[in-house]
Amino acid sequence: MRALDKLWQALDERLELDPIVEFVAHKVVPRHRHSWAYYFGGFTMFFFFVQVATGILLLLYYRPTAEAAFESVQFIVTRVPFGWLVRSVHSWSANLMILSAFAHMFSVYFMGSYAKPRELTWWSGFALLGLAMGFGFSGYLLPWNQLSFFATQVGTDMVSKVPFAGAWLLKFLRGGNEVTGATLTRFFGFHVAVLPMLTALLLAGHLAFIQRQGMHVPASLEEEAKKRKPIRFVPNFMLREGVVWLLGLAALAALAAFFPWELGIKADPFSSAPAGIKPEWYFLFMFETLKLLPAHLLGIEGELLGLGAFALGGLVWFLVPVLDRGGRVGRRSRAFLALGWVVLAYIVGFTFASFAGVFK
Amino acid sequence: MTRQLANATLAILLAAGARAAVPPAPAGAPGKHADDSCIGCHAKLDDVRLRKPAELATADIHHAQGISCAGCHGGDPTSGDPTVAMDPRKGFVGKFAPRAIPEMCGSCHSNAAYMLRYAPNIPTDQLSQYRTSKHGLALAKGATDVAVCSSCHGAHGVRPPSDARSPVYPTRVVDTCARCHADVALMNRYGIKGNEVEEYKKSVHYAALTEKNDLSAPTCKSCHGAHGATPPGVDSVANVCGTCHVSQLERFDLSPHKDAFTAMDQPACEACHSNHAIGHPQDSWIGVADKQVCGACHSAGDAGAVAAATISGALSKAAASEAAVRERVGRVKRAGMLMDAADIKLEEAHQSYVMAEVEIHTVTVARVEKQTQAVLAATSAADKDAAAAEAEIRFRRTGLFVSLAVIAVAMVTLALKIRSMER
Repeated sequence: MRALDKLWQALDERLELDPIVEFVAHKVVPRHRHSWAYYFGGFTMFFFFVQVATGILLLLYYRPTAEAAFESVQFIVTRVPFGWLVRSVHSWSANLMILSAFAHMFSVYFMGSYAKPRELTWWSGFALLGLAMGFGFSGYLLPWNQLSFFATQVGTDMVSKVPFAGAWLLKFLRGGNEVTGATLTRFFGFHVAVLPMLTALLLAGHLAFIQRQGMHVPASLEEEAKKRKPIRFVPNFMLREGVVWLLGLAALAALAAFFPWELGIKADPFSSAPAGIKPEWYFLFMFETLKLLPAHLLGIEGELLGLGAFALGGLVWFLVPVLDRGGRVGRRSRAFLALGWVVLAYIVGFTFASFAGVFK
Repeated sequence: MTRQLANATLAILLAAGARAAVPPAPAGAPGKHADDSCIGCHAKLDDVRLRKPAELATADIHHAQGISCAGCHGGDPTSGDPTVAMDPRKGFVGKFAPRAIPEMCGSCHSNAAYMLRYAPNIPTDQLSQYRTSKHGLALAKGATDVAVCSSCHGAHGVRPPSDARSPVYPTRVVDTCARCHADVALMNRYGIKGNEVEEYKKSVHYAALTEKNDLSAPTCKSCHGAHGATPPGVDSVANVCGTCHVSQLERFDLSPHKDAFTAMDQPACEACHSNHAIGHPQDSWIGVADKQVCGACHSAGDAGAVAAATISGALSKAAASEAAVRERVGRVKRAGMLMDAADIKLEEAHQSYVMAEVEIHTVTVARVEKQTQAVLAATSAADKDAAAAEAEIRFRRTGLFVSLAVIAVAMVTLALKIRSMER
């Protein structure tokens, strides 16, 4: 212990750690009946850490070419010791991360935590969710199997609908006119370099904002929060968060052992598209909506109109801290509360209906 | 007039007495006719029999190549006057008699130099083959109800056989033959049962053609010939089947059955497999019991029956082994394991099994057993893979429960720690 004390002393002399210690010692998390919502952010971050760790392990064997990608994943899951576990955990963790991120976003939304002065936290969180979905979209193609190949073809084809820049965007994403090995290589680049770098930067900002501003307490819970003793961040909240993380770890282990992620069959660009191509579940609500739209609506291509509506919807969601004026003074409008429920019901409803085969 | 003649109908002659037996062979090749009054006039006629040829002409391969009506019917197509255009003195022939049709078609199709100008890749021996066919021989004897060129290819609107709309396209040729060969009364006159097409439609060959859309599957003409259509004799059945089933024929030639069948005047493959209603061969056919094919010649206790029982036993063992291991591997796959290596071994097993079935044609026990042993070796290797995968599943589940226990202990410890701190 003396050695540790000496080390701390040495560091303190050089870096003046006292203010940090002071900050940490006094950092608290409010306690009220919805305190459970505060765990979702950390839970999402836990899955992100799992992604980084398992992703690095997969990188040791994965080869990002059309010729070798499928075989390398096959090698990982059949020959590499515990490769099946690493790959399966990576796939499951990706899905749980997005699920947790959605839960985090909606809990923040319904508690009105996006309002001033936390606009930047909301915006950085919004961008982080976008990046997470980008991780999912780019990672889906990497095993280079039949389903992911054709789903990527459909998915990337949507950007071609973007007015003016559509054709260029399509070529940029695919690395050519079609989904080929060039697409795989650049998706790999996005997945392991571009997206992690952006995510790390945004995550650092997101966390810094939260540390600086502290946890938000909704106006309706302020009284309760004042009455109850807050939870000390270190070590109480951290230990509680540890319990939640262990729960996540247990879920990952069980899912990986009982439901190993399928590999499918190798992509064959010359074969016809298999029946039932679907994107990952978190894109299903958009996918099914676009499928339901008629070819032309009001003289505009249905798909283009749908994508436009999603873009507009996304913009409104992004700008909620600005649009919901009442939220700034703790009196959020009923309209935005209703909007949240409608969006949640729409996403959950369409996703489940898609799994139930309602849209077949 | 018979149906065959009706099929052979070309245009009804307007001029009297024009049923010429044999059309004058074109002096040289029929030329291309830029000015053609035939279609123009015939298309306007009220009589559908006379209008139809003009309507069909546009889809005709000959018409597309620039060979007009006069190419076959003669006359002067440049004249708009029917009496001039269809003047017999100008070589005009109206409706052809059946006997005239093969010669008329052959006047171009047997002319190799001429055919080079239009279709250099098609054979030019159709007429000579036809003359040797059952159809051609009967025609030469004066029969008028036998197939001539137009019976199968159509008279007008002739399409190349590669065109899916052609009556001789693989998927349609069976029904084209059936137009006559399913007519029991007509066939009985020639000593044919008339149920051949019906039987053929029960066969694996027809199933391959219609269900798998396998255009290489044998149709009537594959075994009987097209232009030289004739039933294969007893001594040529094996060669006909062996055109596709090469390996089986090679084995059959090595077998004692070859000479025995010849001596007994038995048609080789047909003796066990039948002819038209050829079903998928079953291993259960092997033996001398009721409904088993060996029993046709062998009796219980003779050398052939003993060999059949040994072969049947070896095949059954191999089949059972393959099925059992396939089931086990499938079960492991459903549990989420990748079993590509086992799949390859099972594929090898199946290949050996197919080879064992081919070796049956040698009726040599040792040769069949060599393949069934290979099946057992491959299935055994696949079974080991399945067993290893099952062990791996058990290991993973045990590992999971150990991990979950460790995680649970850690969670409880943390919870207790939190509780003690917050007390």
